[in-house]
Amino acid sequence: MAQLTSALEERLGDHLGEQLLVAGGQGLAGAGNLAFTVVMARLLPPAGFATLAAFLSLYLLIHVPAASLSAGSALRPELARRGRRRALLIGGAVGLAMLAAAGPISAVTDLPLSLTLAAGAVPPVAGLLALERGRLYGRRRHARAVASLLAEPGVRLTVGVVAAVLVGAVGASVAVVVAGYAALAVAVTRDHAPAFERPRRATAGAGWTVLAFLLLAALQNQDVLLANGLLAPEAAARFAVLSTLGGIALFAVWHAPLVLMPRAAAGDRGALAPAVGLTAGIGTLVVAAVFAAAGPLIELGFGSRYVDVAALAGPYTLAMALLGVCRVLVADRLGDGRLAGTLVTVGAAVGLQAALIVALGDDVSGVVTATVTAVVGLTVVLAAVVSLRPTPIEPVARVRDRAARLWERRDVRLVTGLTVAALAVRLLVGRGLWLDEAITWFQASKPFGAMITNLRYADVHPPLYHAVAWGTVRVLGDSELALRLPSILAGTAIVPLLYVAGRDLYSRRAGLVSAALGTVAPLAVWYSQEARMYAFLMLFSLVAVWMQVRALRRGRALDWALFALASAALVWTQYFAALQVLVQQAAFAVVAWRRWRGGEPVGRLLAGWVLTAAAITAALVPVEPILRDQLIAYGNRSNAAAIVPGAGGAAGEGTGAAAGFGEATSVYRLLVNALWGLFGYHSAGVMTAIAALWPLGMLLALALLGRGPWTAATQLTLAAAVVPFVALFGLGFVKANLFEVRYVIGGLPLVLLLVGRFVGTSTRSDRVVVVVTAACVAVLAFAHVDQMTNRQNPRIYGFRSALTGVSQQADDGDVLVYAPSYLEPIVAYYAGDVRSQPLRPGETPEADGDVYVFGVDAFLEGEAVLDEALRALEDDRELEDRIGEENARVWRFGEATDVDARPAGRSAR
Amino acid sequence: MRTAELSTLTDPRLRAAGWDPTEPARLRRRARRLAVVGAVLIAWYVGWLLQPGRVGNGWLFALLVAAELFNVAQAAGFWWTCLHAGGRRPVRPLTTRPQVDVLVPVYDEPIRVVLSTIVAATRIRGARVHVTVCDDGDRDELRDLAGRLGVGYLRRPGSRGAKAGNLNHALRRTHAPFVAVFDCDHVPDPRFLEETLGHFRDPAVAFVQTPQYYANADRSDIAGAAWEQQALFFGPIARGKDGLDAMFCAGTNVVFRRTALEEVGGYPEDSVTEDFELSVRLHERRWRSVYVPQVLARGLGPEDTAGYVGQQDRWARGCIAAIRTTLRADLPWRLKAQYLLSSSFFLTGWTVLVYLSLPVIRLVTGHQPLAEVSADRFIVHFAPYFGMALLAVSVAGGNTYSFRAYAVMIASFWIHIRATIAALLGLGGGFTVTPKEGTGRRQPGAVAPGLLVVAVLLGVSVWALLGSRSPATLNNVAFAVLHITVLGRGVWPALRVPVEVAVEEPVRVPARAA
Repeated sequence: MAQLTSALEERLGDHLGEQLLVAGGQGLAGAGNLAFTVVMARLLPPAGFATLAAFLSLYLLIHVPAASLSAGSALRPELARRGRRRALLIGGAVGLAMLAAAGPISAVTDLPLSLTLAAGAVPPVAGLLALERGRLYGRRRHARAVASLLAEPGVRLTVGVVAAVLVGAVGASVAVVVAGYAALAVAVTRDHAPAFERPRRATAGAGWTVLAFLLLAALQNQDVLLANGLLAPEAAARFAVLSTLGGIALFAVWHAPLVLMPRAAAGDRGALAPAVGLTAGIGTLVVAAVFAAAGPLIELGFGSRYVDVAALAGPYTLAMALLGVCRVLVADRLGDGRLAGTLVTVGAAVGLQAALIVALGDDVSGVVTATVTAVVGLTVVLAAVVSLRPTPIEPVARVRDRAARLWERRDVRLVTGLTVAALAVRLLVGRGLWLDEAITWFQASKPFGAMITNLRYADVHPPLYHAVAWGTVRVLGDSELALRLPSILAGTAIVPLLYVAGRDLYSRRAGLVSAALGTVAPLAVWYSQEARMYAFLMLFSLVAVWMQVRALRRGRALDWALFALASAALVWTQYFAALQVLVQQAAFAVVAWRRWRGGEPVGRLLAGWVLTAAAITAALVPVEPILRDQLIAYGNRSNAAAIVPGAGGAAGEGTGAAAGFGEATSVYRLLVNALWGLFGYHSAGVMTAIAALWPLGMLLALALLGRGPWTAATQLTLAAAVVPFVALFGLGFVKANLFEVRYVIGGLPLVLLLVGRFVGTSTRSDRVVVVVTAACVAVLAFAHVDQMTNRQNPRIYGFRSALTGVSQQADDGDVLVYAPSYLEPIVAYYAGDVRSQPLRPGETPEADGDVYVFGVDAFLEGEAVLDEALRALEDDRELEDRIGEENARVWRFGEATDVDARPAGRSAR
Repeated sequence: MRTAELSTLTDPRLRAAGWDPTEPARLRRRARRLAVVGAVLIAWYVGWLLQPGRVGNGWLFALLVAAELFNVAQAAGFWWTCLHAGGRRPVRPLTTRPQVDVLVPVYDEPIRVVLSTIVAATRIRGARVHVTVCDDGDRDELRDLAGRLGVGYLRRPGSRGAKAGNLNHALRRTHAPFVAVFDCDHVPDPRFLEETLGHFRDPAVAFVQTPQYYANADRSDIAGAAWEQQALFFGPIARGKDGLDAMFCAGTNVVFRRTALEEVGGYPEDSVTEDFELSVRLHERRWRSVYVPQVLARGLGPEDTAGYVGQQDRWARGCIAAIRTTLRADLPWRLKAQYLLSSSFFLTGWTVLVYLSLPVIRLVTGHQPLAEVSADRFIVHFAPYFGMALLAVSVAGGNTYSFRAYAVMIASFWIHIRATIAALLGLGGGFTVTPKEGTGRRQPGAVAPGLLVVAVLLGVSVWALLGSRSPATLNNVAFAVLHITVLGRGVWPALRVPVEVAVEEPVRVPARAA
């Protein structure tokens, strides 16, 4: 073994060699233990194997937390002797306690008493074994450590198999205990080998190190425990499958931090990269395998009933692989003596995970999202901290230096803060899914081909956003947060982009002001929180205009390429974005003409224009047949009820607010949409009040006096923002529901850029700019808060509360009916477990149990049929309950009763 | 001799001008298109406003219509003038070198201000120049300076007729066929006569006017605002007047044909805007005027609010008084209309008073000029006209006219009102010289009426909001806030301590000129 160690270290270098040796040993040991389990499954009868499996679970339950002791002794091997005594005492006490409580434990675990008694022998060895293995790593006795690792499956496969044949499950279980003692025997040696050179700075205390690794163990395992408590048993079992799969990514690299830690404590900076590389490499392999074949793996290992969590296996395994990297980074930090910060960081991750699980843990995907979020966050923080330490490894140093130089710039710090704030604002979304978002979910949940088909014949949008949503659902599941995450991220990315674009086009002040406004701009936030394509529209629109100006100014190939890409992406996201693309194409013509008239060369401009126009056209060719079919299908839909109304429509009709769906296009509608664009969605009363303040618009016009001449960048930005809006307004006269601000929301970041330019260049005084910006941000933030919290806002629907209420109350014989029929996706999302059907004119809902009637006040199309159904139900049944809020209501009618026996006076509406 | 002293002189007038009053053909075409569209939009708005169904409170409606019609007339006049803003081509300088008397009237201005002007005047090329300092302040120091610089010096007994009397006194004692006049704070460019005398080849030309450029516009907020107002006048308006043969004399940076001056008896001494009245008289006798859109002299504008108020007060009194003269004058209709447009501009303050009063009246009494009109109907008719008017000013003015200039003009509304009342009551006022340097102190007294109106608007708004937050109340409070903001910006320069502007490298002026 020692020769193998030397050979590996000679060929691969000390650091990688020892890591590979230990990882290989751990892998072999794992394979051996797996082989033991498989053999036992064949040898033992099912009941016996179940008993052995239960005993192994108990065995692991004792060993996993005890294994954290390895970290302490790896860091401080000289303390192992004193630790032995303590571990023995504590382990013995726990063992005695288990012996004393053998009866109750046996009853709870359903284990035979003999095995419960045998389990009492595990605690004394668990702590000692962890201690000794850690000491071996601290003394560079890697070969001995590997031998100890291999001893365990070796004894299990020999003694255990024989014992199983002779005594059955009890014999095999006892052999498992014996194997632990054998591993300990191999691990216990005298300290001949020298320890690593002691570090120049104090290392973390062994006890705290153990605590840190215990916290990491909590991060790995608490989701299983919490899932058991929060989820239904079946869902908890599904999550347990994920947890087991994820454990694979961790298993082979379990000891990598222990190998690293002594070197880190000795100030050996070269040890970190191989440890991270090995951990990440093995993790990547496992993650790739799981992503590629999650379904078959789960089916093979756990049975077909768990296959439906296959989509979540990849992300969860990725989280566990990252956790392996985190363990290495934590070891490095502890070895470097960074105790407090490390403990706080890991503790925060544990707390975050727990909080997120509680918040999101309605289903398996929520728990997975929580764990992925916490682990990714921990990885980012640890990686950043490690890379920023004083003497980092060389490749990291360059990145670190560049980052540090960037960080020294005040703007970078400000924009980072604004971006974080923007993310926080966008994450603070209280409303449930709205109808369009449910359609996104409904479509994204289908197989990809089926989704495209659905889009092609039953929708009116191009497929780019839906493709992203489809991938998101596969990776992160279909919780509200997961569905909205692409929009949240795109909407957040707008903020730093506003800064960069504003600085590039105008000035750093303009960039900062634009970014600050973008952080809280109500409509930008609203659509950044919606699982629809509008945040993408804003992002691509900003990039397209910015890149066009760069292309016109510098003419670099990258600028042209990004412009073409963003332009194509715009139309792939929303057809109305073609208006902006056309404006931008016209801008090329105007600029070329101006330059030609001014005697400037235009050859490069024309070449770039023609090439990008061709590229954009080519990129749009695949979307043409989809659009054609959509138009045909749209034309074929005989009545408007088949088309889901827009947000504006629902608002207008139900509340009397102006500019509703289907209303004739008017100047007032134009103004209201403009106000929505600036100040977000509000109740009718608030909108009326805002509209009454129109004289302040004169002030704005006066303030623009003398602010010219407008640069080409300003003219282009203004045209790209305003012309599509006005053009759509014109289209609104042809078909009223075409004119809605969300369809041209790509202009919003452009308006923010222009406001940033206006404020940023209005005065030479920094103080005045800050005050004006703060005032603007305050107004927008106030508007956003009203938009989010004012229950009179007609765009906040109570779908979630109404339908989850139904889901919680409904029994097997109950039925949920709804009108209009296009509420189906939202019903399926929130009450998919309830038997449901749309209301049809003339039909009285029938059910063995209760009948739930779901309707939305604002949707007039369902009004008549809803009234009809309610009247019919009132005649046959008793109205027992109302669920939900004003604009999304559910009436629960009890089982049919004698009409005369019902109390009078309760009416559904 | 005085080299050491003069070398420390820091004079913005000695820097190159940062403004080009010529107008590119592209802008001219754009301004003309805007004028045409603007005319249509005026008709759109006025036609809507004058429909019978619009009348709310009859009295208030009449006031509003009067104010709107006045402003519409001013806007239409502005666009009409801009439509005639042609590009006057430079003329060849005269091949002969005629004699020109350069007169520099001085009252009590600081010597250091006068010094640069005199030195620059002696350097004017293209003619045999005789510089004469016309001292109405009887200062021996100035006489000594003139002697040292080798220029003429005149002092007269008494001070009748103020600046006009001073110049007439000088005209009687000089004899050159051409007379150039520079206020003592306006430093002429050496090319001044080269660029202007050529126009006198036309024997009908009485005077050639050049822009009045404020070189100290960056030295204070109020100087900047005053300059932006000047730039609008000496930009598109003066060019348009020139296209209509209606440019009037601005009192400085001008060169006259002596025979023309003598024909009308020199400067009228009974007006505080003697230059305006002189122009009317010359045009009555069918003399022509020329405007050369080149900065050929660089002067100083008022650096503080008190100076600005004094200047505006004199102009307002003079111009309003000149309305009667203009109406009586024997002028072609185009010239008469142009003179009326210019002189009646100073009635704008009355329209401002109407606009300021309407929200107050609405919030206090509930009366309003218009019958219930939905916001979108009003906006759709008013906003295009309003926006086009602002756009036209921006485009025609080459973006020199800013919110600051507008706000300072609006905040001067009370000056116009006072001047009108004075003119109606026949209350004369003496000629006041605009101070050439600021006091460096806050001057709230100079804007007291504006502050009072701001206080009233603010108080009424708060009071109204405490009582109601109906859309109508909010709408009128928004109007009040609009006025408060504009007035606040206008009076702001008077409420702050002027910031010292960093001065560029000192300019050395030789002790001995020419």
